[in-house]
Amino acid sequence: MSATLPPPHVLVVEDDPHLAAGVMENLRAEGYEVTAAPDGEQALDWLAGHGCALVVLDVMLPGADGLAVCRTLRARGNTTPVLFLTARGDPADRVRGLEAGGDDYLAKPFHLQEFLLRVRAILRRWDWYRSASATSATAVLRFGGNEVDFRAFRARAWNGEAQELTEKEAMILKVLAEHAGEIVSREDLLERVWGYDVFPSTRTVDNFILRLRKRFEKDPANPRHFLTVWGVGYRFLGEGEP
Amino acid sequence: MKATRVFQLTALALVVVSAVQVGWWLFDQHAYTVEKVSAARAAYAEQVAAAQALLDSGAAPARVQQLLPGIVVSGGHASLAPQLAEALTTEEHRRYRQYAWEGSFFMLALAACIAVIARALREEAHVREQQDSFLALVSHQFKTPLASLQLSLETLALRAPGPEAARPLIDRMLADVARMEQMVTQILESARLERGRVDLKSEPLQLAAAVARVTAQLEERARRERITLSSDIAPTLTVVSDPLALDVVVRNVLENALAAVKSAGGGRITLSARASEREVELLVSDSGVGFAPAESARLFQKFSRLRGGASGYYGTGLGLYIVRRLMELAGGRVSAQSDGLGKGASVRLTWPAVAVSAAAMPQPAAGEESRP
Repeated sequence: MSATLPPPHVLVVEDDPHLAAGVMENLRAEGYEVTAAPDGEQALDWLAGHGCALVVLDVMLPGADGLAVCRTLRARGNTTPVLFLTARGDPADRVRGLEAGGDDYLAKPFHLQEFLLRVRAILRRWDWYRSASATSATAVLRFGGNEVDFRAFRARAWNGEAQELTEKEAMILKVLAEHAGEIVSREDLLERVWGYDVFPSTRTVDNFILRLRKRFEKDPANPRHFLTVWGVGYRFLGEGEP
Repeated sequence: MKATRVFQLTALALVVVSAVQVGWWLFDQHAYTVEKVSAARAAYAEQVAAAQALLDSGAAPARVQQLLPGIVVSGGHASLAPQLAEALTTEEHRRYRQYAWEGSFFMLALAACIAVIARALREEAHVREQQDSFLALVSHQFKTPLASLQLSLETLALRAPGPEAARPLIDRMLADVARMEQMVTQILESARLERGRVDLKSEPLQLAAAVARVTAQLEERARRERITLSSDIAPTLTVVSDPLALDVVVRNVLENALAAVKSAGGGRITLSARASEREVELLVSDSGVGFAPAESARLFQKFSRLRGGASGYYGTGLGLYIVRRLMELAGGRVSAQSDGLGKGASVRLTWPAVAVSAAAMPQPAAGEESRP
């Protein structure tokens, strides 16, 4: 956040007026610009005409619930990060939230400092991703006949197939490409792409690497670009393994 | 709970084993009778053959009949005495009838036992299921005011605002605590209604007086929220109900209407009543946010909350459920109607008309005066 930039804009979608007021006052006190929407429909209407840096989204909303709102948003191609707030906090619910396209998940009642920390962490991750894809040299990655457009979340694979990347896939690819040739640990990937303690295990990273191999490797069983370093993590090679 | 379940399942297993045992016993008895009857028939046939052989060898018929008393001889032919053949058939049929009666009696008794136990088990499973979902819903309902309360407290701790800035936070916290207290009261109330553990009186009451009592308590709030409350109820209208229950019913319906009108940014609520020969009806109409017509049945279910407007609604989702239960216990009913979102709504409370008994009817004027 530099002084010359406008403050990040946060949309708070929460039907309980007290909770909404509390969240908004605190976000404002931290220097964010804040807009409120009491239900999913109004949130989607607002998002259709405005951009923002983050959506704080309650799961239990009157009408369409938060998960449906997030799915609609993603289906429209809107990649604004989403932080879910919910009264249910069991792992299955967390997974549902993240599958719907959410970036993070916080169970009610939550701690104010943790909430603010997570908001900062999500914004920092996206700040990094955007600035790391800002120039025409960094916006596009070419390797082994594949071409990835980080800003559009699109790619064309070596066989000419068009690919739509999820935000997480794009972020993982970005981290790996920034450290091409170096070993990146699973923990580093989790920290850079998800933040802390969102997912229960580093196995999630492995699943995403499998998906990237399927998309971009000529022979996913014998990868030449996304290499496993046993017991440590992964190494990305732009030129392909000789 | 667990011991009862083990006992029920053991009893069920025992009854099922008994039913199988009775079935086997019937089968066995039937087979035994068939065997015995055919053995008796074979023995009789042997006697007839022996008598015929004696006759054929020249024995005197009288001598043959003396030796074999079950045989009759006529015209040189030996045959079984008809009363013996008849007695055998009668005995055979008597036994089959006995098995049929006894078998069906025991089978019916056992089937009844199985049905009773199975029903108890099913009901218990249903109760457990309901308790689970009730607990899940209750804890969910509490988490929102709790989260709000925690947020306000942590804001106070983190930002240490001056008294001026802290005031709205404190007001919010007080409202959250009041919200939770109201929830506890309503949850206890609905749990008592659920189990039917309520001691409701049945006395004739003036509808107008109850409505006046409740509206007097809510008038100040209505004025603050720019809501006009008006009622036009004939003082002669009487319903049979519990006095406290009548107040709770009217209050909950009115609070619901107030919340709906507040969400619409103000408006009016009108109460009117009419009586027919069989029913007395109270109609509470509001110009509030209304609801989708398809949702009218869901309104009276536990924890159903309809969408509020921008100003939100703090309902516990139990108020109208309690109204429905209390109306049912008073022998009446309740229904809600709306033309759609933003088009207002009306709630109709209907009690059976009082059986006209001059002694039971309070005199309108006297009723008013005798009230403290």
